[in-house]
Amino acid sequence: MDDERALAYLYKLHYPMISHFILSNSGSDDEAKDVYQEGIIIFYEKIRDNSLVLTCQIKTYIYSVCRRLWLKRLAEKGRYTTSMDDADDYLTLEEDVPQQEENERQFGLMSDALDKIGEPCRSLLEDYYLRMQNMQEITDKFGYTNTDTAKNQKYKCLQRLKKIFFTAYKPAF
Amino acid sequence: MYEQIERYLAGNMDSAERASFEALMQTDGRLKEQVIEHKQLLQAMKIYGKRQVLKGRLNTIHKQLEAEQNPAASNEPSLLWKVFRNRHAQTIAVAASVSLFSVIGTLWSVHQLKDPVQQQSARYVELRREVDRLKKAQSAIINDINQAATPAPRPARFSGTGFAISSDGYLVTSSHVIEGADSIMIENKAGMKFKVSEIYRDQDHDLSILKVEDPSFSSFGKLPYTFSSSESELGEKVYTLGYPREDIVFGEGSLSSSTGFEGDSTAYQISIPLNPGNSGGPLLDDKGNLIGVISGKQAGQEGASFAIKSTYLLQMIKEVPTVTTLPPLKLSKKNTLTDNSRTQQLKKLKEYVFVVKVYN
Repeated sequence: MDDERALAYLYKLHYPMISHFILSNSGSDDEAKDVYQEGIIIFYEKIRDNSLVLTCQIKTYIYSVCRRLWLKRLAEKGRYTTSMDDADDYLTLEEDVPQQEENERQFGLMSDALDKIGEPCRSLLEDYYLRMQNMQEITDKFGYTNTDTAKNQKYKCLQRLKKIFFTAYKPAF
Repeated sequence: MYEQIERYLAGNMDSAERASFEALMQTDGRLKEQVIEHKQLLQAMKIYGKRQVLKGRLNTIHKQLEAEQNPAASNEPSLLWKVFRNRHAQTIAVAASVSLFSVIGTLWSVHQLKDPVQQQSARYVELRREVDRLKKAQSAIINDINQAATPAPRPARFSGTGFAISSDGYLVTSSHVIEGADSIMIENKAGMKFKVSEIYRDQDHDLSILKVEDPSFSSFGKLPYTFSSSESELGEKVYTLGYPREDIVFGEGSLSSSTGFEGDSTAYQISIPLNPGNSGGPLLDDKGNLIGVISGKQAGQEGASFAIKSTYLLQMIKEVPTVTTLPPLKLSKKNTLTDNSRTQQLKKLKEYVFVVKVYN
C-alpha cells in the first residue's frame, strides 16, 4: 500500500515536467503520457531489482530516460530534430540502454504473441503463470472436465505461444 | 517430459530427481535447448505480466491526476482547441513563423531605408584591397613564361597605394594598408620595384612612413610636388592617383567638406569615387600641391570619401628624427607641377605613386 502511494506521489510530481518537454518538442498529450509511463516503468523496475545506481536527482534521471525514449520515437517517426527545447541537465544513460532495449523488445514481442494465440489460451496462460492460480481454479473457471484436460490445454497453448514468440525473438546472446 | 521441465524450472524437484534430470540434460542436447527456451519464455512472460500490472496502476494514477487538474471536465471549447492544436500544431507553427519573418523583414527594410539619413549608423570603410586571387593568376602566367624554373613568388595578400615624400627613399601610406605585414613591396608604373619597411607609424591619423631598403636603390629623383601646410578651401578641385586594380587609376572631384567621417577635423571629405586599393594615395589640388592622404570612405554612400589633411602628415614627418635615429627628411621645396596641364601633371606624378603590396 505504501508502495502504491509512493508511486502515485512520484508519478504526479514529475508528470508536468515531462509533459511540458514532450509538448514543446512536437509531441501530443497521449504521447507524453506513453513516454512518461514507460520512463516510470523503467525507473520502477530498476528499483525493484536493485540495479539502480543513482548519481543524480530522481528528477534528472526520469527526465533523461524520457528524453531518450522521446528522441527514439521521433527518429522512428522519421522526424529528426536538430534542436531540442531542452533542459541543461540530463544523463546520456549509455550503460543503461542495452538492458532496457532488450526488456522493451521482449515486452513488445510477448504482447504480440499473446494477442496472436487468442482466447481462451491467453487468459489461461495469464491466469496460471502471471496470476499464479492453481490448476483446480483454472479448471473451474474455464469449465474443463478435470485438471488433466486443463493441463493438456495449457500445454497446447504454451507450445503455440512458444512457437510464435521464438519465431520473432532471437535472444541477443 | 514437458511437465518435468516445468517442475525443474519451478524448483519443485527433490534433489535426487533434480540430479538425474540435470545429468540427462548434459547428455541430451535437445532437452537442454528446450529447457533454455522454456526458461526464456517464462521470463518474458513474467516481464510482460509485471509491466501489464504496473501499466494498469499508472493508468489509474494518471486518471486521478487528470481529475485533479481539471476538477470540472466541462471545458468543451478547450478540449476542442486541444484536439485542433494537436492535429494542426505544425501548420500553426509554420504560419506563426512566416508571419514573424514578415514582420521582422518589414522592420528591417524600413530600417534600411532610413539608414542614409541617420548619420549615427554610418560605417567607415578602409580602402585596402585583397589581391590574393588576381595575384595568383598573375604568378601562374609568370611561371609559365619561366618554364616553372623558379618557385612561384608568393602572392601578395593586400594592396594599397603609397607615394614618395622625399627623394632619398621615404614614402607614406595608410597604416591600415600594411597592418599585419611580414614584408612590404612597392612598385610603380615605370617598373621600379623595391622592398620597403615601416619606420614610423601614427596610429591616430592612420599614417605610416616607409623607407626603401633595397641596396640597389639610389634616388626617386626630384619630387615634383610640395606639401601644403595650410587648409584647403571648400569646393577646391582635387584629384588622386591610386591602384584600386593592377593599373594606376586617376580620380577627380572636389573638396566637399573640411571635416571627415563623423565630423573628424583631421580629414577632408572629397567627392571622388574610391575603391579598395586607393588607401594611402596622394590627394592633390589643381596646382599640384599635396593636400592629403586618401584613407577611406563611408559604406553604402557614393562620393563620400575621406583623406587625412596634409598638415598632419607634415607634423608626422617632423616627428621622425625625434622618435627614430634617422636624420630629418628632406622635403622638396619647389612645385614643378603648378603651371602644367592636368595630363602633364599626371605624367610626372605617376612615377612617384606606388602600389604597396603586403605579404603575410
